[in-house]
Amino acid sequence: MHKAIIADDERELRNYLKTMLKEAWPELVICGEAANGNEALELVSLNRPQIAFLDIKMPGLSGMDVAEKIAHICRIVFVTAYDQYAVEAFEKEAVDYLVKPVMKERLEQTISRLKRQLEISDSPVGDISELVGQVIKRLNDKEKAAYLRWIRIQVRDDTGLIPVDDVFYFKAEDKYTLVMTKEGESLIKKSIKELAEELDPDHFWQIHRGSIVNVSKIDKVSRSLTGRGVLKLKGSPELLTVSRNYLHYFKQM
Amino acid sequence: MQIKSLDVNRNVVLKDLLLTSVISTFVAIFLTVNKIKGPFIASFIISQCIGLLTCGSILFLHWIIKPKNLTVLILISFLGIVTGVAIGWNAGTFILAEYFSFHIPISDDYFVRTGFLGFTICAVISYFFLLRESLKKSKKEAEEERLKRLSIEKGVLEANLKLLQAQIEPHFLFNTLSNIFSLIDTDKAKSKAMLKDLINYLRTSLSRTRRDLITIGEEIELIKSYLNILEVRMSDRLRYKIELPGDLKEHPFPPMLLQPLVENSVKHGLEPKIEGGEILIRVTEDRDIIRLEVTDTGIQFSPYYDSGVGISNVKERLNLLYGEMGRLILEENKPSGLRAIIEVPKNHA
Repeated sequence: MHKAIIADDERELRNYLKTMLKEAWPELVICGEAANGNEALELVSLNRPQIAFLDIKMPGLSGMDVAEKIAHICRIVFVTAYDQYAVEAFEKEAVDYLVKPVMKERLEQTISRLKRQLEISDSPVGDISELVGQVIKRLNDKEKAAYLRWIRIQVRDDTGLIPVDDVFYFKAEDKYTLVMTKEGESLIKKSIKELAEELDPDHFWQIHRGSIVNVSKIDKVSRSLTGRGVLKLKGSPELLTVSRNYLHYFKQM
Repeated sequence: MQIKSLDVNRNVVLKDLLLTSVISTFVAIFLTVNKIKGPFIASFIISQCIGLLTCGSILFLHWIIKPKNLTVLILISFLGIVTGVAIGWNAGTFILAEYFSFHIPISDDYFVRTGFLGFTICAVISYFFLLRESLKKSKKEAEEERLKRLSIEKGVLEANLKLLQAQIEPHFLFNTLSNIFSLIDTDKAKSKAMLKDLINYLRTSLSRTRRDLITIGEEIELIKSYLNILEVRMSDRLRYKIELPGDLKEHPFPPMLLQPLVENSVKHGLEPKIEGGEILIRVTEDRDIIRLEVTDTGIQFSPYYDSGVGISNVKERLNLLYGEMGRLILEENKPSGLRAIIEVPKNHA
């Protein structure tokens, strides 16, 4: 007898999949339903099912996060509304991938695939599960490579948010950092060093020990008499100095 | 009268000096042919000296003073010419005496006549120089103006295109359809209601983009359809409230400008939050400004989150439609979640 769990944040869709499975695979026991990733993880460790049907976009831990942790325990079938992920990665026998709304014919294919695998072994075979884990991890990392996108500023009692794309440049100013936008300047506590680490290096270049510029706001670069670079920004009369150590960014221009 | 100051750079200086030299040569030829002064060489040297020095001093004065109005400009030109004629005359006679052993006869009358002639010629020439520069400058400005207009037009087109592309999120569409698909068997009435909301949402969001303005009431109806669908899908995880004063219902408003903010609240605030939360939409007016607020009690805001194109599209469109008068303000909500505020002028042509 095989057990499975279903994880989806939408109740109606859990019910629907349960009904479909009951029809197409009556012997399968649905031993638990989860409305988010954290619940799914609990259910797996509690009930040790052979199969997990996981929605990818869920509150708390996502289906990907859960899969990464349970790939060695059970076979995973992703159920998702729209595949922005690499479907081919899952079309290898190891894991399956269902698109919502789940259709009967497609589900039957998945079921026979699962049955075939379960005949060989109850739990995923070592190297395959490792491979699956790796694929999932890679996809997950790609999702998560996050850079700083918002700057928090204090506006009286509220915390205002500025998208980093709107920033012309950051400049160190005593203990603070000055943030310049079209609307004006604000001070934040984050240091230039921290910003340099957190901002997307493709869009923000450090041009001086104390300043970082938004590349998309650069209008012109010229050389000063002393050999340093001078940046003119779009829509701002201010000029920024590029110190010699950081001139390499502009060499190819 | 305001005027544009002249950009003095190496190119301008070289070009102007060369042109002056050419004109000075013609003046010397003219003077010789008309037998006004002595031999050609004397007229040539003196007119070159006066011309180049006048031109040089005017450029120099432009460079250090950067005149911003007509009076200063005339003063500068006058000063430049007087300096140029005085020094030029002396330099010229000196060169002639020193290198060509040619001594200009000294008489008061001669000196006054030459000075007067030099001054007049220089004044006329300076006037044409300035005229040429200002013409060039206004031409350049007209060209810049044209480019700016073109880029605005391009921006409007792009924004409209993005609007068309961004309005229906595939995740939303397929998840909703899946729900309806499932509800058909289990709860027919509910599935019908949901389908109705979906049709409403699709119809309005697809057709309204072709109209420039709808009413705030219509936009709110569209948002209601959207939120009704999500209310069913997320069951007890989503609640919403809308506060729209009756007299603002009929106020004209661009389509699909508020909806992306609601969608953003759902997608990034409430869907990722296990216990869900609330959305409050509030429209108010404050003298000549209309404020549209979308507040959610979603997850703690993360400065790392990527809002996708939704928020930046709204910002771009506000900027194109209202310029500086249209604003998008984002704030953290307390204790958690986000508040997005659109401010637009009430009476906007």
